Amino acid sequence: MRLPHFEHLKPASLQECLAALAESGDEAGLMAGGTDLLCNMKFGVIKPRKVVSIGSIPELCQVSEDGDGNLQIGACATLSDLVQNPLLSASFPALHDAIKSVGSVHVRNMATIGGNICLAPRCWYYNQSQQWRRALTACHREGGIECHAIGGAQRCHAINSSDTAPVLMALDAQVCLRRKDGERWLPLRNFFRDDGNRHTVLEAGEMLTCIVIPKGSAKHRSLFIKVQLRRGLDFAIGSVGASLGGNGQGKEITLVMNSLCSAPLILAKAAQAIMEEGLNDAAIAKAATAARGELGTVTNLFTSAGYKRQIVEVLVKRALTELKTDVVARRKPH
Amino acid sequence: MKKIIALNVNGELREIAVNPWRTLVDALREDLRLTGTKRACGQGSCGVCTVIMDGKAILSCLTLAVECEGRSITTIEALGGPDGLHPLQQSFIDHGAVQCGFCTPGVIMTAKALLDGNPHPDEEEIKDALAGTYCRCTGHIKTVEAVRHVAQSDREAE
Repeated sequence: MRLPHFEHLKPASLQECLAALAESGDEAGLMAGGTDLLCNMKFGVIKPRKVVSIGSIPELCQVSEDGDGNLQIGACATLSDLVQNPLLSASFPALHDAIKSVGSVHVRNMATIGGNICLAPRCWYYNQSQQWRRALTACHREGGIECHAIGGAQRCHAINSSDTAPVLMALDAQVCLRRKDGERWLPLRNFFRDDGNRHTVLEAGEMLTCIVIPKGSAKHRSLFIKVQLRRGLDFAIGSVGASLGGNGQGKEITLVMNSLCSAPLILAKAAQAIMEEGLNDAAIAKAATAARGELGTVTNLFTSAGYKRQIVEVLVKRALTELKTDVVARRKPH
Repeated sequence: MKKIIALNVNGELREIAVNPWRTLVDALREDLRLTGTKRACGQGSCGVCTVIMDGKAILSCLTLAVECEGRSITTIEALGGPDGLHPLQQSFIDHGAVQCGFCTPGVIMTAKALLDGNPHPDEEEIKDALAGTYCRCTGHIKTVEAVRHVAQSDREAE
């Protein structure tokens, strides 16, 4: 597979980059590690006329604590650098686990956290060669009115496979979106759109520059669990990021699933069961059952809808049980 | 439009003119005639095209050559030839970790990057590093054993 032709821009600073983006609009594709963008370009899934290289812009690669003790992560920090960062493994072990589970050592050496958050959604029909796609009529992703992955679907159901997104959402992370003439901050949970065709709220000329995890989230117990066909390289067929705040009774619990729908999914009903009844076995069983019903249309990629609902139930049960065990262990007098 | 880039390949400064869409693996194989690095899946899922860039194992099929200006790249050609094999190469032969040999340059460069940073990895660390490579004939047990042997014999030598 060869890359299509494009113009290569390498801005030296963020300002220069934002100016280039403002000028190029929809024609530009942002490249940090390149592991997602170049792969999709080879398949002809995206066709940017300009590739803007941002991986070595210094201000995008920094990881630091701000004045209030919140952790600020530049969008272009590589996953390998983050895995080795003591700020991360000490305060946010779940994020450390999620990052370490991405791809392979090679991929993590190249890929960045911003790239993982913005990871293009994938579909078993659309993410194939152009020749394959030409065999059928245009799908939603190509400007058509059909979905070849799920018959009768009214929108694109490509799947969001980001591993870092569910954990960052559970940890209440905020993201900074910059454009030439301004910036906006929003919670990561408002960043995604449940539409495989346009899966984030990013506008043309806008880019994700920074992720901030609030200091308070470091006190939460958090975890990440992922189901894959193979332990290396494969995208997940279901993952869960969970965080438990407060005194561990279950009043402040967040469960976020990913790799099942077009956007990471906050399991409100499952969390509700725990909030009402506490973190005990009966409530965990109830939450796991409730979680099955929270998935929408899920037959894209790898396995059947029934199996995916089973994955959700199992992951929710495992995550809550692990959190409960952790709480009990910490309560025991030493 | 072609751009002239200078990169350090196996200790030698090389200058090439490349189009922006030229990947590093193509530049190495076709412009620099270093055909030891192989091109296979082209999408980052097999690890066959692995080279070491500034000390880290990377996928040369998903790296643009223009991005490598001023970088230092090590390919399998730097390791050894028939007259003097690198310990990893010898260990791969001794353990039957080479069959058709197509994935071997990628696997060995991956293992080299691991051992350069961590001379005595445990089994899990070896498996974690090699998880990004894909061998279709001889299997993965033997490659893990070959790398473990080098990691252990280094320790004995010390």
